[in-house]
Order: sequence, then C-alpha cells, then structure tokens
Amino acid sequence: MLHELKMPDLATTGGAVKILRWIAQPGASVSRGENVLEVETDKAAMEVESTAAGILKEIIVQEGESVDAGTVIAVIQSGGEGGDSADTKKAAKDPVQEPKAKAGPPPVAPAKSTKGLFARNRAAAAAKAEPSGHDGSARPAAASPMPVKPAFAAPGNLHSVSIARKTAARRLQQSKQTIPHFYLQTSANAEPMMARRSAALPDKLAWDAFFVKAIHSAIARFELMACRWEDDQLIPQGTDTIGVAADIHGDLFVVPVESPGEKNIEDISRDIRARVAAMRGGDPLARVMKPGVMTVTNLGVCNVETFTAIINPPESAILAVGKIRPVVIAVSETAFAIQHRVNLTLSIDHRVANGKYAADFLGAIVEEIENL
Amino acid sequence: MKKSKDVSPDPASYSRDFLLDLYRRLVLIREFEERVKFLFLEGAMPGTIHQCQGQEATATGVCAALNPDDFITSTFRGHGHALAKGLTVQEMLDELFGASTGCCKGKGGSMHMGNMEKGMIPAIAIVGGGIPLTAGMALAFKMKKTSQVAACFFGDGAVAEGAFHEGVNMASIWNLPALFVCENNLYGASTHIGKVMKNTKVSDRAESYGFRGETVDGNDVLAVFEAAKKAVAECRAGKGPVLLELLTYRRTGHSRRDPCHYQPKDEREAWFSRDPIDRCAETLLTREDISRDDLEAIKSAVDAEITDAIEVAKQAPQPTEADLLTDVFA
Repeated sequence: MLHELKMPDLATTGGAVKILRWIAQPGASVSRGENVLEVETDKAAMEVESTAAGILKEIIVQEGESVDAGTVIAVIQSGGEGGDSADTKKAAKDPVQEPKAKAGPPPVAPAKSTKGLFARNRAAAAAKAEPSGHDGSARPAAASPMPVKPAFAAPGNLHSVSIARKTAARRLQQSKQTIPHFYLQTSANAEPMMARRSAALPDKLAWDAFFVKAIHSAIARFELMACRWEDDQLIPQGTDTIGVAADIHGDLFVVPVESPGEKNIEDISRDIRARVAAMRGGDPLARVMKPGVMTVTNLGVCNVETFTAIINPPESAILAVGKIRPVVIAVSETAFAIQHRVNLTLSIDHRVANGKYAADFLGAIVEEIENL
Repeated sequence: MKKSKDVSPDPASYSRDFLLDLYRRLVLIREFEERVKFLFLEGAMPGTIHQCQGQEATATGVCAALNPDDFITSTFRGHGHALAKGLTVQEMLDELFGASTGCCKGKGGSMHMGNMEKGMIPAIAIVGGGIPLTAGMALAFKMKKTSQVAACFFGDGAVAEGAFHEGVNMASIWNLPALFVCENNLYGASTHIGKVMKNTKVSDRAESYGFRGETVDGNDVLAVFEAAKKAVAECRAGKGPVLLELLTYRRTGHSRRDPCHYQPKDEREAWFSRDPIDRCAETLLTREDISRDDLEAIKSAVDAEITDAIEVAKQAPQPTEADLLTDVFA
C-alpha cells in the first residue's frame, strides 16, 4: 500500500517550508516516527518524522525546494508488495504524484499559490515544486536531475526567501540606515602571505585566516575597535570572536572564529573550512551565529579588486579584502618593481572611531599582514 | 539532575486494580499524544499542539489523589491533565478535530481542553494564568464549606510570572484548599531553568509564603500519588495550600514546531532512562499478580480505543453558522 508523506504544518506564520536535506534516500526502509528529512521553517531548522513505516519509494520534492504544508513530498510503500493496487492507481492520477522533476522543464508561469492549511491545495503545491532560489545547485546530486530553471521568473511568481536571507536583509538595512559608515582604503604587500600559504602544504591556507589573525592582533592595540556605540556609550563587545563572511548556497552567513589569539593560522584556516563545510552540509547547529567584534569579507576569489562593505551589527567595523594581484610599484624615485598586493577597505562606525584612529588601526592591520 | 530524597512507595501496599488503572492512564496519555502527533504530521489535524510525552506521571499521580468533584486547572500542555481527570478520548479527539461534539463544542481546541462536569475548567494557555484562578476556586470552596480541593498545574516557567506571586500568596494568607503543582521539566519553552532562577528548587518558594512545599520525583507515579494524597488531605483539613514540585522532562519540543535542539543529548538520554511508563511497569511487575501480559493487554486496549475514537472524530459533526452566536457573552 502506498502512503503519501506530506509536509507537516511546521511554519509559525503559515509560510512555505524548505527541504534542507533528505536523511532517508529512496529505497531505504523507514519506521514510523523516524526522522527522514530536515526542513527549514520561518523560525528554525528541524527534523521531520515519517508518518508511516515501509520503504521510501520516491522523493517527490527535492532538497532546496520549498512547499506549503500538506504538499506530498515523498511516497512510502508499506506492508509488502505495492504493485498494481488501487492505491498505486490513485497515486498516479494525483497531479502531485507525477515525478515532475524528471519530466523536463517545469511550468514557466505557475499560478501563485494561495496558502492552504492542508492537502486541499494540491495545484498550488504542484506549481511550487520548482526549485527555489539558487540553493539547489550546490547540493549533492539528487535522485533525479533538477529541472532547468528559467533565467527570469515570470511576473507574480515570487522567489522563495530563506530565513537566513530575511535575517541578513533586516540587519543590513538596520546597519546601513543607523550606522554612520566611513571608509578607508589602502593596500598591503601580499607576498609574505603568499609565501606562508604555499609553505603550508598539503592543504593551502584559507586567505581569510591571515586577515582574521591580523585583525585580532591589531585590535589588541586599538581597543575602541572592540566596542560598539549604544545609548551614547562605548560598550565593550566582550568577545574576541572574528567573523568571516561566507556564501552558503546563496545565503550570507558569518563564520565565527572564536579566540583567534590562541590559534595559529593553520588552525584558524581549518576552523573556517570545517565550519563552512558543516553549514553547507545543512548542520543547523553550525548555522547558529555568534556575536563577534569584526568581520572579514573577501571577494578576491571573484576577481573584485576593491569594494566597500556594510558593517555587521553590533560590530563597529568590517574589512573588505580584494583580489591579490601583481602591480607595478615605485621602489625609489627612479626604479620600480612588480609586487603582489591586496586592496583593503575598512568600513568604520564613525561614532566609535574618528578618521585618524581608524587610519592607524588600518595601518596596524597592514603591518600585521606584511610582517608574518 | 536533581533527585528527590523520597524512596519509591512499595507497590504491595496498593490494590491490583488501582495499580493497573494508574498504568492504563499513563499509557493512555502517551498513546493519545503519539497518535495526535501523527495526525498533526499527516495534516489531518490543524493548528499547533503542545505535548506531554515523558510527563505522564505528574497528571496521573495527582489526579488519582483527587475526587471527581475536585477541580483542576491546566495549561497549553493539557492533554495529559484532561485524560487523567477523566475526560474521554472521544470528547478530546472531537475537540481537536473542531467537532461540535468536542468537550468544548469544538471551540476550544488543543489548548483549552476541559469539562466542568468532570472537574476541569477549560485549560488556560496563558502562562501562570491558572494560578490566581485556582486561588479563586479554592476561596469559593472554603466559603461554601464544601470539602473540595482546587489543584493547579503549571510549569517551571510560570513561577516567574507575577500571577504566581499573587495567586499563591492569596491562597496562603487565607489557608485555601489549593494544591499548586509545578511540573518542573527544566525548560520554559527553550530556556533552561538555570538561566532564569538562582535557586532552581521551586518548592523552596512555598516557605517564603508561609506554607509547605515539597519536591518529588515526577517520573515516579506512585511517589507523585503519595505526595498528592498527603497534600490533598492537608487541604481538606484546612491546612492548605501546598506546593508540589514534580521533577520531570518533556520528550518532545515545546510545541510541534519546536525542534528541541536546546536539550543536550546526554541530558535527554539520562531522562529517557527514567521514563515514567517504563518505571511504572517495572514496579508493577514486582507483584506476583501482575504479568507482562496484563500490561500488554492494557496497551492493546488503549490502542484500540484511540483508533476507534479517531475514526469517529473524523466523521464528527462540525459546528454550524448558528453556533457562532452561542456560548458568547457579547
């Protein structure tokens, strides 16, 4: 007998629920009450239990997709042979049961779904069975190929928005609107970093590790940079965690590096990579943010030479790191040389630090980078 | 994990029927909650639910010490209290399905289970909201010179509410027949009790109001029953109120939408090894006149009762438009 596994009503605001990961794979034997998938609601990531015992016959809604409560997300075959039973025929008639993902491109302009509590809303659910956002692409290969997504969504067809994106959007807006940013730009000799990085075989070091270490050392000499402005007061942040901005399946996260003073660059690099891998793997605990003093954001790998970043509240500064590239520098009035350099832009909360103080702080970061 | 000093009561000192009935109620509550959980996950039942798997012994032990005409108040996590006080599976499932045959005519739902004829005012979902109400009911019993007792279930989170102080203090100054039952499951929603209380022994608070408090192993149904029996006797004798702190643990999230990641794994496992139903079964099996088959038969009977009730509830009549204007004040 075939049993439809439906998305439970787990969202507190009745919104769509996104499938982060299928714990059970097609063909697996599952018991009633066993956690078979992980989902992300408007409030939390959580596991979902199977409502039937049997063999997970087919996954209908893939990882990365978002669906309303009541949508059939998988089929479980329970109690011996399924074959040509009446249930199978019934299931085949159900539009949602069609393995859409295998059938080629999804409808280009699916009707906008109206939120239904339960399975009444099959049509809307079917329309939403298209992958959402950019999140699907970096996932491990699913059982069936992902449908090709049209480059431009049709009008009225809303993109689903993750909690992470909503949170980032709210905080960035708050930051840009309430923190008086100013920006200082400089460059640093990147050759000491490059030498250290190639020496650290077999795994090359994450570039961000150098900047985390440099910022941490520099802040020790510029204690205002470890404060935030609140209610006309400079409040110490009370932590020495430095964050590293990371793109996790299209969402912006900040990877916390705790107590970098007690770690060497190799450890920091390993920490960052492990945490990013855990986040990409869907580990909900790894995604929990930790308050920090400052964040590093690095677009060098994307060939950006220079950019300015928005401060990550409640922090008071953020360092934007550009691409390391060879440039011609004058070494005297009459001679020049070629050197690998990196552009650095520091965004500062002007309430916390003035221009000279921040400039000296940026100078200290450069000093740390150039004197590894 | 806090431990109460009491040793578990000797099962030989009770009648076989009484013990089997306690066991049946524990199993009934657990199975009811599990079945409701799957109805929710399947989308057959709307809304969210707050479940009490793991806490069955508190409701069962306390209500076993009450008379049918004694009253209880309950919380958003009230299914266990209702079943323990004698509401039927059918009237509760009907209520959960929003049927007009439900205990509150389908208008209350999960968070407002109750039946005045069975001594349970519809549960109050406001944290701590039942405490002043219990003082009020107990005052009425005292003024009417009935021998009834009002028992109030609340969680550890409710202790921080102003209503706790007001209700408990009033019950104390007037020596009201009120039994305050704190089900301390260590978490107020997701917040551990240690983060919000310096002295996490809730029963200590009774002394500051001038009445007796006691901490009991809330996963030992006989220990709960004995403590409640003693407290109820004191209340009936005009020596109330009493505060019972029952140490227990919830096996599920705060609500169905809570992934419960804040409960550490080792803490969960430690508490799961003290499951109230397993422990009750072990205790009962020390008697020669109770066998594993007796317990299995109870499980099967409970299972059949709930299965039948679910089918009936699914077909139960829904309220009509005319019902919109009944049971309302304005």
